[in-house]
Amino acid sequence: MKNKSRRLAIPYVIWMALFVVAPIVLMVIYAFTAEGGGLALDNFTSMGAYLDVFLRSFELALIATLVCLLVGYPVAYCMAKEGPRFQRIAMALIMLPMWMNFLLRTYAWMSILENNGLINQFLGAIGVLDLLGVDHIRLIRTQGAVVLGMVYNYLPFMILPIYSVIVKLDGSLLEAARDLGANTAGVFRKVIFPLSLPGILSGVTMVFVPSVSTFAISRLLGGGRQMMLGDLIEQQFLGGAYDPHLGAAIALVMMVVVVVCMAVMNHFGEGEEQAVML
Amino acid sequence: MPKELIRLSDCVVKFDDEIILDQLNLYINDREFLTLLGPSGCGKTTTLRIIGGFLAPTSGDVFFDGQRINDLPPNKRQVNTVFQKYALFPHLNVYENVAFGLRIAKVPDGEVHQRVLEMLEIVNLKGFEKRSISALSGGQQQRVAIARALVNRPKVLLLDEPLGALDMRLRKDMQTELKRIQQELGITFVYVTHDQEEALAMSDTVVVMDGGRIQQIGTPEDIYNEPKNAFVADFIGESNIIDGVMRADGVVEIFSRRFQCLDGGFAPDEPVDVVIRPEDVDIVSADEGQLKGTVTQVTFKGVHYDTIVDFYGFKWLIQTTDYCPVDSHIGIKIDPDGIHVMKKSAYSGMFGDYSSYSEEYDEIGDATMAPGEEDSGDEE
Amino acid sequence: MKSRRSVGGRFLIALTFLFLYAPIVLLSVFSFNAGDSSVVWKGFSIDWYVKLFQNRLIMESVYTTLLVSILATVISTVAGTFAAIGLFGLKRRWRSPLMTVGNIPTVNADIVTGVSMCLLFAACFQGWSVFARWLNGVQDVVELPTRLTLGFTTLLLAHIAFDIPYVILNVSPKLRQMDKNLIDAAQDLGCTWMQTFRKVILPEIRPGVVSGALIAFTMSVDDFVISYFTAGSSTSTLAMTIYGMTKKRVSPEINAVSTLLFVTVLALLVLSNVLEARQEKAAQKKLMLQKTTEYHPVKPPRRAPAVTKRVWFRRAVALVSAAALLVVTFALATATSAQRVVNVCSWGEYIDTDLITQFEEETGIRVNYQTVESNETLYSLLKSGGGDYDVIVPSDYMISQLIEEDMLEELDYSQIPNFSLIGEDFKHLPYDPENKYTVPYAWGTLGIIYNTTMVDGEITSWEAMFDEKYAGQVLLINNSRDALGIALMYLGYSVNTTDEEEIRQAYQLLSDANDKGVYQGKVMDEVFQVMEGGNAAIAAYYAGDYLTMLENNEDLAFVVPEEGSNWFVDAMCVLKGARHYDEAMAWINFMASTDSCLANLDFIWYGTANTEAIEQYPAYYAEAYGEELDNETFRIIQTPPETLERCEMYLVLPKETRDLYKDLWLSLGV
Repeated sequence: MKNKSRRLAIPYVIWMALFVVAPIVLMVIYAFTAEGGGLALDNFTSMGAYLDVFLRSFELALIATLVCLLVGYPVAYCMAKEGPRFQRIAMALIMLPMWMNFLLRTYAWMSILENNGLINQFLGAIGVLDLLGVDHIRLIRTQGAVVLGMVYNYLPFMILPIYSVIVKLDGSLLEAARDLGANTAGVFRKVIFPLSLPGILSGVTMVFVPSVSTFAISRLLGGGRQMMLGDLIEQQFLGGAYDPHLGAAIALVMMVVVVVCMAVMNHFGEGEEQAVML
Repeated sequence: MPKELIRLSDCVVKFDDEIILDQLNLYINDREFLTLLGPSGCGKTTTLRIIGGFLAPTSGDVFFDGQRINDLPPNKRQVNTVFQKYALFPHLNVYENVAFGLRIAKVPDGEVHQRVLEMLEIVNLKGFEKRSISALSGGQQQRVAIARALVNRPKVLLLDEPLGALDMRLRKDMQTELKRIQQELGITFVYVTHDQEEALAMSDTVVVMDGGRIQQIGTPEDIYNEPKNAFVADFIGESNIIDGVMRADGVVEIFSRRFQCLDGGFAPDEPVDVVIRPEDVDIVSADEGQLKGTVTQVTFKGVHYDTIVDFYGFKWLIQTTDYCPVDSHIGIKIDPDGIHVMKKSAYSGMFGDYSSYSEEYDEIGDATMAPGEEDSGDEE
Repeated sequence: MKSRRSVGGRFLIALTFLFLYAPIVLLSVFSFNAGDSSVVWKGFSIDWYVKLFQNRLIMESVYTTLLVSILATVISTVAGTFAAIGLFGLKRRWRSPLMTVGNIPTVNADIVTGVSMCLLFAACFQGWSVFARWLNGVQDVVELPTRLTLGFTTLLLAHIAFDIPYVILNVSPKLRQMDKNLIDAAQDLGCTWMQTFRKVILPEIRPGVVSGALIAFTMSVDDFVISYFTAGSSTSTLAMTIYGMTKKRVSPEINAVSTLLFVTVLALLVLSNVLEARQEKAAQKKLMLQKTTEYHPVKPPRRAPAVTKRVWFRRAVALVSAAALLVVTFALATATSAQRVVNVCSWGEYIDTDLITQFEEETGIRVNYQTVESNETLYSLLKSGGGDYDVIVPSDYMISQLIEEDMLEELDYSQIPNFSLIGEDFKHLPYDPENKYTVPYAWGTLGIIYNTTMVDGEITSWEAMFDEKYAGQVLLINNSRDALGIALMYLGYSVNTTDEEEIRQAYQLLSDANDKGVYQGKVMDEVFQVMEGGNAAIAAYYAGDYLTMLENNEDLAFVVPEEGSNWFVDAMCVLKGARHYDEAMAWINFMASTDSCLANLDFIWYGTANTEAIEQYPAYYAEAYGEELDNETFRIIQTPPETLERCEMYLVLPKETRDLYKDLWLSLGV
């Protein structure tokens, strides 16, 4: 049996070599070569010019992730406290927008945030704009709009993993903590929170990674005025500045930075657990 | 005169329309080892949860040391619990699990250290401080759970089927261990179990419960020897329960035959339930017997034979060291102290007939039930 | 976890749902708007739904999305399940690293997966091209296509590649939970491997397989980024279509398609919830029954009779939907495969779409009409292997570059008799001196479009593009050549300068303005919506498009600034290795005809090179609209010589200068 099933792994390993390993190897090769071939580090040395893009992307993604965490955690926590029927419906409602494409969700915000879009019209109608003496508040094509787009799109990715961890928490652990003298805050701080860390970590990853690399959101809601990493990479492949070598190099650096961030965070997460222990 | 520590008076618990606890009255003395015994769904865990503070009774009061504590949350009670499946914190190691309560109480580090080590020594887990919970065996986890509760020096330790998940051997060891710890520390244990043997072996006082009511409270000997009704008689050990009529004090009539007994105080000719323990019956030759019957089944049990004997269509279980082959006609003799007479109750007629005897004792069948399903009735 | 439910918690959850659903609800509401605004309600209508079903682009992309998602889900579920079993059979020492590598697509950013796949396909295509050329050279039996492009196959491969790990991640835990003895027991009882799999393993891991499939499907449907990099131009998922549309004038048809999608998904969810609730009720009833009859209440067995019913229902639904899918696939496949096709790529709002229909009716050739943003984007797309086009309409300088890089095919002018109608001024232009590759499509000038209500007085100079006074009100054109060109012109340099210093000065000008917040955004075809909606004051754009905007917003004005400007010609060319060469010739000839040029001129308001058309246009206009063509309008369409004198055509720049442009352009966004 084992021998037989083991053979099933072979096609997958070949597939993996072709469609997982090869693309990344190719990306590395592109990153370290110049146009027309030949080993070159130019792509990396010239990258300093884009430091601001890196910083901006990481900053915006970090803000979006934090907002998602601050909103998503309480929501997940409250959901987990509800009855099973409520929970099932709430889960479905949170998943539902994911079945619509994420571009549709982003698009939905465009007409709302326009200079004479719904929010500005509303503010004008209730007289806020006159009060401020402006004819509109600029909402779209700002960094705030980009963060909003990220939060809107990726909030479910934060809620779901945290919720699924909290809902699986053994109720007797919480009773045990109370039994040992912890009050509600203590139960949360000493038991629920540390035990929901895996959910938080996977939520943070699931929000941060797509946020830091997005180009559609920054293009649609940010107006492309200030590039994000995703825009920068997209520009080199399908945009107005074709240079797959530089693009691959930037993508590679981004990948490495993200991986390092995640590793550090995971380590920090474990450290946190240890801190609780000591 | 021992001091009363906990009192439940007229406690009722209802979920929706289902009555889980029905007018429960119970007091628990200081330094007592009290066991709540009963089948799943009898309300024993509910009672424990009321004492622990995890559940407020729908009506009725809970007193601790004379103070009403209905509204006191669990973290403010001088009571600690050993949970059914231990509920150890997976993110903490052994040491930190045990230290949890002390840290909450902001006990100075030095003292925490000393008390935790001391407690780990009491439960024989010295040297396991740094182990993670998942690296422990069931028995070891059990000990951590006990240490974690006891390190806080509670007045009362509540134990909810703590040995349910352990295998037979380990259970026996832990029973002795628990009893030793209780005596060593001199605190009150309230112990929940559905295992009658466990209850009889460890307790000072046994509370037999069923259907949300207390059926009987007493010492293990009382409970075994003087069951109050058919339920208790059947639940504790094996019993033949036969309809009888009390003809006079000390005289009971079974199958139209009068027997000497030690009970009295019944109305003349009052119908009663008569309990005869299988080991209290002597098998004699058919002529000498007070009753005559036919052996229908014999099973060898090691120390004795389980012999099923048909008396006038009613089947008795008799435990005897004499071998009687199937279909042999035998007689039996019962000494007066082997007969226990009880008043008729709602349980009369429900137990004590071995017509459908199977080689499995019913309470063993009960004990092997998956712990998860146990008490599901209480909680829902 | 049971505990008290707080009102505050419910409020928070309600608020979150409001946040999540308000935009979608608004979208849905405005899909019924009679007007095309997403802000102003002009009455109820279902026009947009009708239009949606007539919009081939959207309908096809919905179909592509569903097809690729379902195929990818099915394939990756089967493959992933077997792969998981295979991995499970391996020793831990092997399994762990393989699992880690396999999970890369799930942890990597989508864009990294997307571009790396894109690189892989491009490399494969290059390899194939070399091979095919060699093989075609040494034998004549089979003629292999030399140019492969991204398309449905690559899209599907990419989707399968990122779906498989999710399936494995869901199936593996179930395999680990499975009692190892089960397999031995099954084989002990005489099962073959396949029987063991079907009768023992599969039932055990089914929940994992189902949830894996569900997640794979969700990921596929929700994906945009990976599709964007691997689908190329001829295949478009719904997300890509919408992305393309958001770069142009956004049509409320998107609202309609969103609403339909939303309602469908909602209906499915409600249905499954109702079924589940019913099942739960049945289980509860059973529980009650047991409680009253049995002495010990026990939990109900997991499979209540209601479940069996539901399984049958589910199977029926699955069967019906599978059958429906098969029929649709088959129908579409037969409908499209036999037809002659031409793939055309042009700019947004650059054709009277009735012409497409007309061409299709006349010739029976189906037109796949795609648009891209700019010359530079087109170039990237072609280079990435994504441009599955026959006919493209690049601008002058880009044509030179494409010819230089041997990317264009010579035209067969014998198949394009209408070329004779092209004015002599538009033949043998610098970009194609021998006129072997091109037929002019349209021409025009670059200028400033501004909203007269939002600026003070008349604008006459490019200076307005850099003026801090209009901070946040200016739209920068989103391509390097035009944007830097504007700055060069303002500084008085030639747009074709190769002097690095001059170009750097121009960049500095743009960069300073950008830092001061002059620019609201970088736009190409989005400009229509923004300017028409009065959401920006000033934009540099093309003359013809100004007239289109003017129809929707009378406050707009256009000027070719005094410093001069660029005049450009967009011409139709055929890509090297085009798969539909003859069809391409037919299309080019059709578009060059006088009738087409007239209709197109009237629609896009760009100048035409067809002499007959330009002569006949005033009469055509008078007949169509019953009024004289305004001279001012005509001057914008057909830029008069005195204005053209101020204008310069872009020439192809040497490689070093192009690289400089590229670097500077990227730095501008930094």
